[in-house]
Amino acid sequence: MSLSVEEGEIVGIVGLSGAGKTSLLRTLNLLQPVDSGSIFFDGLDIVGLKESEVRNVRKKIGVVFQSFNLYRYRTLYQNIAFPLKIQGVSKKEVEERVMNIATELGLEHRLRAYPSQLSGGEQQRAAIARALVMDPKMILLDEPTSALDPKTTCRLLDLVVSLNEKHGITFVVVTHDMDVIKRTCDRVAYLQNGKLDFFGPTHEFFVKIENNEVSDFGKPLELEKGLLSANKKILRVLFWGTRTHEPVLWKIAKENDVMINILYGKIEEFKNGPFGTLIIGVEGEKQDLFVEKLRESVFFLEEVC
Amino acid sequence: MLMLSQIFDATLETLYMLLLSGFLATFLGIPLGVGLYLCSRSRGLKGLYALLDLLVNIFRSIPFIILVLLLIPVTKRVMGTIIGPNAAIFNLTIAAIPFMARLSENSFNGVPSGIIDSSNSMGLNRWQMVTRVLIPETLPDQIGNVTVLLINLVTYTAIAGAVGAGGLGQLAINYGYYRFQWDVVLYAVIVLVAISQLLQFTGGKLAKRLRK
Repeated sequence: MSLSVEEGEIVGIVGLSGAGKTSLLRTLNLLQPVDSGSIFFDGLDIVGLKESEVRNVRKKIGVVFQSFNLYRYRTLYQNIAFPLKIQGVSKKEVEERVMNIATELGLEHRLRAYPSQLSGGEQQRAAIARALVMDPKMILLDEPTSALDPKTTCRLLDLVVSLNEKHGITFVVVTHDMDVIKRTCDRVAYLQNGKLDFFGPTHEFFVKIENNEVSDFGKPLELEKGLLSANKKILRVLFWGTRTHEPVLWKIAKENDVMINILYGKIEEFKNGPFGTLIIGVEGEKQDLFVEKLRESVFFLEEVC
Repeated sequence: MLMLSQIFDATLETLYMLLLSGFLATFLGIPLGVGLYLCSRSRGLKGLYALLDLLVNIFRSIPFIILVLLLIPVTKRVMGTIIGPNAAIFNLTIAAIPFMARLSENSFNGVPSGIIDSSNSMGLNRWQMVTRVLIPETLPDQIGNVTVLLINLVTYTAIAGAVGAGGLGQLAINYGYYRFQWDVVLYAVIVLVAISQLLQFTGGKLAKRLRK
């Protein structure tokens, strides 16, 4: 397996349970011992480093675990301050940084509460705050949304994107939640049985899903047999990027004088641009020419029949 | 009344043995517990763990009265005497250290592995791991452990009384059992029960206050 994460990007790691997502994430800061291979962080191979050097690398990588793992008998303030305190940062600076981060994440009114008194979303943000306080270059998120309700999930994803944009923090996110991938990730690594099956831009990953090359995330739409007829072509068209919002279909249909009938359609906002899926029926003398022209203007086109 | 002042003195002696041996066992037993925990989790130290584990098991499986007898030469060497409260404190401490070590090791094992993982991810060294994570995260449990330890030591002091340690145990045996003064036995038992209850109550309250 070989993959690289660029500075400032958000990479998602997806796959079924047991595919090795979490193991991969845990090797990134050597929580899981590595038998062979290399892991470069900031140009330094961290495999085979001395324990004290590993500790220094770890201080630059924040980790937010699935179960949050806040210290049970420390207040929220003490939890966020903890990584600074163990580094011997002065009390005044600790206070300043904790307050800044707590305010940014909307936790400033909960600082005296203990973890057991916080809601799931608050605990999640507390764990993120604790990772952020070290000013990390990279944050690893393990299944960040699995314990959150839809609304909290939404807020979390906005937070991740804004931290990425504002502070340039690189994120690696392990998830099986497709919304997380769509809304936050620049690139996706898809694991199957411990092997890297796909690694590329998010929209290409969804093309793979639409084409049924990845079956782990539900089947693509199947058409009713009744819709199909001899003198009609059924096309599946995928749009991506700025073209998604252009009247491409209408223009080309008009030029070639064909009738189109939209059978199914949706547009989703991905982090790196809008992504549209359309299934259309085409009827007309110049339907072959239409297909050819359309193919040039869209991201992906397939004749269903 | 002579008997009352005797019971009072014996109670003080018991408390003296109890608190001093409890204190020593806590502050020697918990580090041993930390050692057991760390050895059991470190790949290279499995052998050392097996050895410590065996020693703890052996000391815990010897009945206290037998342990006192076996320790006589050592007690004499170290304490200069084999009777009286100070000699008993030595015996009690030796018996209680492995007990406390095992209890605290169990508590350390109960710290969620996620908390250990996230602490490791922050780059804590081993010393910080022990003092900033393991001990604080098990504090309410350790209070409970010390409570159990002290209550066990209450009965142990009474057993030690049978071989000349002094305290309520010796009073109950000398006056009650050998001279058929059953009221002395009764008073001794009442005081022992009262001490145990007080310990349990205080320990429980304290642990509950620390648990958030």
